[in-house]
Amino acid sequence: MLSYSIRRLLILIPMLLILSFLVYLGLELTPGDAVSYMISPEMLSGVSAADLDALRESLGLNEPFMLRYVKWLGGVVQGDFGYSLSSGVAIKDIVFDRLPATLELSGIALLLSTVMGSFLGTISALKRGSIGDSALTVAGMLGVSIPQFIFGLLAIMLFTLKLGWLPVGGRLVPGYETFMDRMPHLIMPSLVLSATMVAGVMRYSRSSMLDSMNRDFIKTARSKGLPEWRVNLIHGFRVSLTPVIVLIGFRLPTLLGGSVIIEQVFQWPGIGNEFVNAVRARNYPLIMMIAFFSVFAVLFVSFLIDLFTALLDPRVKLD
Amino acid sequence: MSEQAVKRRRIDKKFDKIRDTIDTGVKKKEFGSRAFRKMLNNRLAVAGLIFVTVVILASIAAPLICKYDPLKIDLRSTLQKPSAEHILGTDKLGRDLFSRVIYGGRVSILVGLGSALGAAVIGVAIGAYTGYKGGWLDNLMLRLSEIVMAFPQIILVLLFVAIAGQGLMNLIIIFTFTGWGGIYRMTRAQMLSLREEEYVQALQAFGLSTVKICYKHILPNAIGPIVVNITLSTAMFILAEAALSFLGLGVPLNIATWGNIVNVAQDLRILTNYWWLWAPGAAVISLFVLAVNFIGDGLRDSTDPTQQG
Repeated sequence: MLSYSIRRLLILIPMLLILSFLVYLGLELTPGDAVSYMISPEMLSGVSAADLDALRESLGLNEPFMLRYVKWLGGVVQGDFGYSLSSGVAIKDIVFDRLPATLELSGIALLLSTVMGSFLGTISALKRGSIGDSALTVAGMLGVSIPQFIFGLLAIMLFTLKLGWLPVGGRLVPGYETFMDRMPHLIMPSLVLSATMVAGVMRYSRSSMLDSMNRDFIKTARSKGLPEWRVNLIHGFRVSLTPVIVLIGFRLPTLLGGSVIIEQVFQWPGIGNEFVNAVRARNYPLIMMIAFFSVFAVLFVSFLIDLFTALLDPRVKLD
Repeated sequence: MSEQAVKRRRIDKKFDKIRDTIDTGVKKKEFGSRAFRKMLNNRLAVAGLIFVTVVILASIAAPLICKYDPLKIDLRSTLQKPSAEHILGTDKLGRDLFSRVIYGGRVSILVGLGSALGAAVIGVAIGAYTGYKGGWLDNLMLRLSEIVMAFPQIILVLLFVAIAGQGLMNLIIIFTFTGWGGIYRMTRAQMLSLREEEYVQALQAFGLSTVKICYKHILPNAIGPIVVNITLSTAMFILAEAALSFLGLGVPLNIATWGNIVNVAQDLRILTNYWWLWAPGAAVISLFVLAVNFIGDGLRDSTDPTQQG
């Protein structure tokens, strides 16, 4: 197990290095430089070229490429992620400020989609061919076909503007800071974010459940005279759950991508919202760091899931 | 148990009957391939195919169908409800929404299909060759695809949008270069199993070139999953375009696309009071993607040789 973990880790590190290099390279190919986005066109005419050069120099934009990359990477390793171009705030502060909101939203969406998806998928598999099964299949198809932001808009229209039950967006109201105060703000975004994923998990767990129900050990369990619910839940469901849990790793990119959209729809003050604003403002250091963090998160979680699968299924290690 | 046995016997009888009718020549040989006939039996897939065909034909024939220019601003008739004159009403600038939806289809479908085909060309070309050949190039491309696919797609796309700027061509190119990973992986996996077949050994023994073996002789056998993948990724790219345009970061807002039509709904006043400004766009995106997904699933079911019958 240890050697397997080390081997996996040795694949992870060069990949992160290459990624960081690519992301930095991409930044270098950007049209214009940081300075041109910091000064309005009207002011630009009043600033001399020497002043602009001095500004570039102070921002470290004139050094050779590899040196800047190594410097930047050294900073990143020590937790210095640079500064936002538009506000001058340290990116580290922005990330730590916004990360809890995103973790809260996507964590709940992940939990909701896993529980609801595997529950509905299992029911669908057990009642295969029934009206309920077809209805769930079509609903799942709708879930992956309707854009998330349209779900969001419809939810806002129904629950906020027509019924007035839930707030339209945002996360914290000044003076109200406990989790329970945030709950009303959290319900809609997390449900909408999980909607698309529920559909995916449902389809997956349905076929996984069907697969495990066809195995020999299910016949053995039945032939021993176990009650049907016990056969289904204890023997069938438990086995079908493993691939569904593994699927969490594959869903992480979808989750992070989805939260970019959903945070925008509900004005949720998370990383995704910050990312879109950074793209709009061409705030490259921030764009790059957030993109890098998202890849880091995906790779790290899939690394953990690889270890987890190896623990569950000894055959994996031999590969 | 006995119930199953009865069922099986019934199916056997049916098959015998069909075989008899074909043998005696009563029943003519059916047209098209088996996969095509099976696809036609899938009602959802056929419905999807009809809807997609109608929408594509409508957007091709847009100048014949639409009375108004989708970009023509008419400030005397802004925010009009659907009427006989404007079937879907007009928007804030007095542009006819029906025209915008039809013309928007041109751009949205172009982005979706164009990106899917572009990604397929890159993914299949690389996947077929490296999957057959193996070696260091295969390893390199595999790692590269892992890196591309580790990014949440929308984040990678937005990163490139920030670098390259917004634009129709830019978007298609960005989608192509961020989306080839999936189809590459699939083609490669297909090649890995197909290259072990005996006919490949025979071709090698004849001394055919690698390029000829993998593109001309093996690749056609993997065409089923590739077509399914192109179909499903068309749906995915249409959704991605809509999401980006909704953020205002996709196709420039002055071009009508389905995503750009729904973009106005971010304004809560428009969301509630002027539903006709965004609802047709939202409906057509959802229905079109749903229809394409139905086609994709139908194709998958009918081309998958593990699902006989």
